[in-house]
Amino acid sequence: MSQNRTPWKSFGRRPQDPEFDREIAFHVDELTRAGIAQGLSPEEARRRAILEFGGREQIKQQIREVHTSPVLETLGFNFRAALRFLRRSPSFSAAVILTLALGIGANSAVFSAIDAVILRPLPYPNGDQLLQINQHDTRNRDANTFVAPQRLEDWNRMSSTFSGISGYYTDDLSEISGPLPEKLTMALVAPRFLDVLEVAPALGRNFTRDEFHFGGPNAVIISYHVWQRRFAGDPAILTKKLHFGDYSDSIIGVMPASFAFPNADIDLWAPSPPDAPYSQRRDATWFTVIGRMKPGVTFAQAQADMATVQARLGQQFPKPDADLTIQSVPLKETVVGDIRDSLWLLYGSVTLLLLIACSNIAALLLARTADREHEISIRFSLGASRRAIIGQLLTEVFSLALLGSLLGLGIAAAATRAFHLLANTLPRASEISLNPSIVLYSLLCAVATTLLCGLVPALRGTRRDLAQSLARSGRTQTSARNPLQWFLVAVQVTLAVTLLTGAGLLLRSLQQLSRVHPGFDPSHVLTFQISGSWGETADMGSLNRRIDSTLDAIRTTPGVLSAATSATLPGVPSLYQVEFNLDGSLDPNRKVLADNRWVSWGYFDTTSIPLLQGEACRRGGPPSDVLVNRAFASLYLGGAALGHNIGAAAYNDFSTKGQIRGVVGDAREAGLNVAPVPTVYSCFSAPTPFPNFLVRTHGDPMAHAETIRRRIHQTDPNRSVYAMMPLEQHLDEAYSGNRLRTILLALFAATAVSLASIGLYGTLNYLGRMRQREVGVRLALGAARSRILTQFLFQGLRVTLIGCIAGLALSLASGRLVAGMLYGVSPVDPETYLAVFVLILAVATGASLLPAWRAARVDPVQVLRQE
Amino acid sequence: MAPTEKTDLLQGTLDMLILKIVALGPVHGYGISQRIRQISKAVLNVQQGSLYPALHRLEKRGWLSAEWGDSENGREAKFYKLSAKGRRQLATEEASWNRLSQAVALILDAARQEA
Repeated sequence: MSQNRTPWKSFGRRPQDPEFDREIAFHVDELTRAGIAQGLSPEEARRRAILEFGGREQIKQQIREVHTSPVLETLGFNFRAALRFLRRSPSFSAAVILTLALGIGANSAVFSAIDAVILRPLPYPNGDQLLQINQHDTRNRDANTFVAPQRLEDWNRMSSTFSGISGYYTDDLSEISGPLPEKLTMALVAPRFLDVLEVAPALGRNFTRDEFHFGGPNAVIISYHVWQRRFAGDPAILTKKLHFGDYSDSIIGVMPASFAFPNADIDLWAPSPPDAPYSQRRDATWFTVIGRMKPGVTFAQAQADMATVQARLGQQFPKPDADLTIQSVPLKETVVGDIRDSLWLLYGSVTLLLLIACSNIAALLLARTADREHEISIRFSLGASRRAIIGQLLTEVFSLALLGSLLGLGIAAAATRAFHLLANTLPRASEISLNPSIVLYSLLCAVATTLLCGLVPALRGTRRDLAQSLARSGRTQTSARNPLQWFLVAVQVTLAVTLLTGAGLLLRSLQQLSRVHPGFDPSHVLTFQISGSWGETADMGSLNRRIDSTLDAIRTTPGVLSAATSATLPGVPSLYQVEFNLDGSLDPNRKVLADNRWVSWGYFDTTSIPLLQGEACRRGGPPSDVLVNRAFASLYLGGAALGHNIGAAAYNDFSTKGQIRGVVGDAREAGLNVAPVPTVYSCFSAPTPFPNFLVRTHGDPMAHAETIRRRIHQTDPNRSVYAMMPLEQHLDEAYSGNRLRTILLALFAATAVSLASIGLYGTLNYLGRMRQREVGVRLALGAARSRILTQFLFQGLRVTLIGCIAGLALSLASGRLVAGMLYGVSPVDPETYLAVFVLILAVATGASLLPAWRAARVDPVQVLRQE
Repeated sequence: MAPTEKTDLLQGTLDMLILKIVALGPVHGYGISQRIRQISKAVLNVQQGSLYPALHRLEKRGWLSAEWGDSENGREAKFYKLSAKGRRQLATEEASWNRLSQAVALILDAARQEA
């Protein structure tokens, strides 16, 4: 047996019959030879050998069974039968597959967003160990949560649960090696920044210890994006420099393309030396602090540790550290935060949608299995077990669901691409992708829908008593399954009403929001920023003069009515609530809390906020000029605000202190969806080196953009003007998440309503067909067609009514889920509820009319002839 | 082939017999059927109908490995060989068979004494 070796591996494979034939042939030949040796004739020997060997085919079949698993065999058979069944009724199959594709696709798409945005850790190694650590004023006097460089270093040194604590702040720069100055955004980082994030540059190196010393070598790490855009991916990038006015930085590294911390706009990272003279004060705060917990440390342990650290600092530096507590948040929370509720809401909606689709299909299948009663009873009588038939029916549904979920994956893939376009509204949008877990998820959806849609019809359709239906004639069946079908229709209506109510409430909020009068006029206002640098704050006087003269230049541009600067844009959500003292006294029982805003001269003209008393900010006026709004004056000063002294309560040399020189009207500056809050305006042109410029123009603001840009370039050629857009666009963008959520929900609700009405239509239609004979007899006996029509119609409407009431009750119960997203509308808004009710009834009437009319149009003669 | 009284194989013992025979060296199906007959002095009756499915079952379980090779008279035949896994299986089956037959013998002895 040395030659002719043919390895024959049968494991897990079907044996090839020829192989076995050879084996048998050998055996029979040997038997024959033995027979001949015993003296038989060759023919007789062969005959006996074959006889002795026995039933060849039987043995072969037994061997085949050894090599195949019976479960797989049945499954394969069921699938082939299912595919035959699907091909036999293509339009039914297509309708079910499409419905499921939409349902599963939408569900998988939203799930892919939830998976990437909420469920997955941040894209840093062990991202769940990262925290953002904020300081917080215990007495609520200061809304500032930024941290002083010295305190950051203390935290890092004294904490025992963190492997490292670092921080960053951002600064805008004008890079001038190109033909035009280009604005770059730089993150100035505390020592250990990249170590805490555990990310290394893709090219080059991290900062050295020396580079974190004041006066040490200049170094900058650039983003992948800048490397590609500005340097065309030059491989010799590490020998290049970036030029900013009077100094330049050596490029020492390039970050990976995926790195976008603190955000995707960052072009550069540079060290911020903790030993710089300007970094020594404990009340000069600017760092957003991040820390990495040591492995195994829990969030609670880290919080307790930081509380102890800060308590010790409070003893060491009573002013200001004794007033500070520490609030840590998982870094992911700061990124995901607000969007979580919206995503879960959308997920809930698409899940309701899928449930509606399922009950719709279940109703269709019920009707279908009823039509197949005959086939099923034949199979019973041929000896099929109930389990086998249920298995067969479920396989049919599963094949449909599987095809639906495959198609749905296509929808989900398209949706992930759409999500990427939403990067402005949706954090981490770029991380959303169609990955194996989404594929697995949609397969699970297919299994779940199979059981949801298929189980009840399969169990119902195979009840034992059906076996007797063979005895009956196909035509005389009466449908005993109506209650279940109507129940499914009611469920669909219920869920659709719930979705519609939710969408209605959000739509109403959007409508209310657009009707709000914000107290300022955002139309015809152009906004932009001009590059500046925190370094300029070393000489506040000259920074102020620079901005004032820029304002002068803008004001003299043709078409400009007025111009101003402001730290924050009116109406774009931002609240900087600070505690104030009035006339030098603090009443511990009555805190004076107000939103503190920094605005320049001309601000109230530009935004059209009316001046009610006193005077507005003056050009070149001192920063001690303060105005308050009407809400502040009436809440804290009984309406007579002029002349009072006001100052920030917290210990801080940089905060507001001055005299109230004017009162202005209330405006929704902290957000269009927030009622005006008491506000203190400090007159100051340069709250930051790159404040927002607001310019009221004659006509379309964008039409003046280029003129204004040129004018600024003339006065200050080294600075770049960026983010030019109308104020209204800022407002639009600030609420675009809102709008998107509403549009999506409205879309889902519309789909839900159409699915439910298709369900109603289908069920009524089926019922009409089933009762043709009865109707025919009644007509023959003289019943009026109109009576039959209304009977069918009312049957549809009754179920709708029940579903409607259940749906409205469900909406009432779940109202608080959306309460946080509503504006100006109560979660139990009667108008919305009424509108939904009327709409659903109207749609249901429409969906019932045709089948009811068709049912009443039966020709009695024809029906009776069929008997 | 003397016409003696033949006994049908006890359920499950065929596997053990096959393993035992194959343990002596690589052998083809015909060889196995002949050996069973010889060893058991033609008392046991093994149908080809159960021999070949059993061979394939044992092969699928990994107790036997099979290879095509040349037979004693130069014909192509499928030879079965005991695998390491099969050797272990044979040991356990022999042990439990011995236990069982001893137990049965004990019972029979006891019954004889009482009688």
